Amino acid sequence: MVHLNAGYNLARWLAHDGQDAEDVVQEACVRAMKYMGSLHGEDGRAWFLAIVRRAFYDWLAHNRPALLVRDDESAIDAVPDDADGPEQALLRKTERMALADAVAALPPMFREVIVLRELEELSYKEIARIIDVPIGTVMSRLSRARRLLQNCALALGRADASETGSTP
Amino acid sequence: MNCDEVVPLLAAAADGEVDPLRTHALHKHVAGCESCSLKYAAMVDLKRRLRAELPYHAAPAALRARLVARAAPPAPARPPWSQWSDRPWRWFGGGVLVGGLAAGLIWGLSAVLMRADLGRDLSASIVARHTRATLAGQLVEVASSDHHKVKPWLSARLDYSIPVDDWAKSGFPLVGARIDRLEGRPVATLVYRRRDHVIDVFVRPLPSQGPMPAVHPVRGFNIAIAAGSEMEWFATSDLNPNELAAFVQGLARGAVAPPN
Repeated sequence: MVHLNAGYNLARWLAHDGQDAEDVVQEACVRAMKYMGSLHGEDGRAWFLAIVRRAFYDWLAHNRPALLVRDDESAIDAVPDDADGPEQALLRKTERMALADAVAALPPMFREVIVLRELEELSYKEIARIIDVPIGTVMSRLSRARRLLQNCALALGRADASETGSTP
Repeated sequence: MNCDEVVPLLAAAADGEVDPLRTHALHKHVAGCESCSLKYAAMVDLKRRLRAELPYHAAPAALRARLVARAAPPAPARPPWSQWSDRPWRWFGGGVLVGGLAAGLIWGLSAVLMRADLGRDLSASIVARHTRATLAGQLVEVASSDHHKVKPWLSARLDYSIPVDDWAKSGFPLVGARIDRLEGRPVATLVYRRRDHVIDVFVRPLPSQGPMPAVHPVRGFNIAIAAGSEMEWFATSDLNPNELAAFVQGLARGAVAPPN
């Protein structure tokens, strides 16, 4: 149970909603108890987070299948980094948001790497194992997520500056 | 290194994921390159803001309680061999007892295993925190040996308050403090010196249950742990393990003796 907070935090960030997060964590705990034997001296937190994440996507497929389609990796990865497309649209959308809201607005595949990296402070290697992709993919997702967030942070900075009357 | 080599590495460097040799070359370049130093500063700033502004959602107590209740063993089905007994209810009672004990044992054991595991992660992240702060030269956010300054500074930023003292008279002057994160939670970090050694002491509330995590030296840095004043104290330094252990135990007790 020592990793319950980490598991709930991830579920809450992914599911957006406290009640849904509780359902996901509860299911994850059931699975964790079942697969306890597969934990061979591994990092218990990363192991549990991987189970929580899997439970979330299963929950999503079952309860919000429409959202899952939107999170189709190929749809986002097919977009060249600087082209006008979903990322640009998201960029505009996130421009005036507070940072936490901007993170919440990221697609789950970006949101999860930010939460795992900045809140759980896991290494690239651990994140790669949890979300089951190569380290290079972790790095590219992190960098794209951060580019979006940085833009939002800059826009906020500009808004602050104009509100206080100073010129940038 | 030139900009083309440095730029793709900036984020990984800010994440502490670049090996020391390349980190050194990278910082040398960044120090002399305005464009890269701006990019690096922006990345470090974004990371700092994310950590400061993103809420960490701790599990609600009700969920925790429900899960603990669930983990309690279901009454085992009546064992098939009990029908041979002339007093089946005894067998049944024994089954419940044995099943309960076994499930309790497994649950307890897994908690211990996870806690031991936690110790290893924890050791690594404690030392990572320490080296990151010393390498970056950002040891403290509030530089003062005055505990009347450091304590309120920490209390204003955490949901707990820790005892803070300057132990210069015992040979451990207080340098200041900063806020770090351990296991995703903000934690108070007191910084002391012993001769030329920097000592980071991470202090957080003592968990209500579970044994102390087993901590191990990581890459030549020693870690010592103590409990006291309702807090868990983790000290890390390149100081020798005996002095470090004596120091952290003294801190937890509220009385640091000068080392012999």
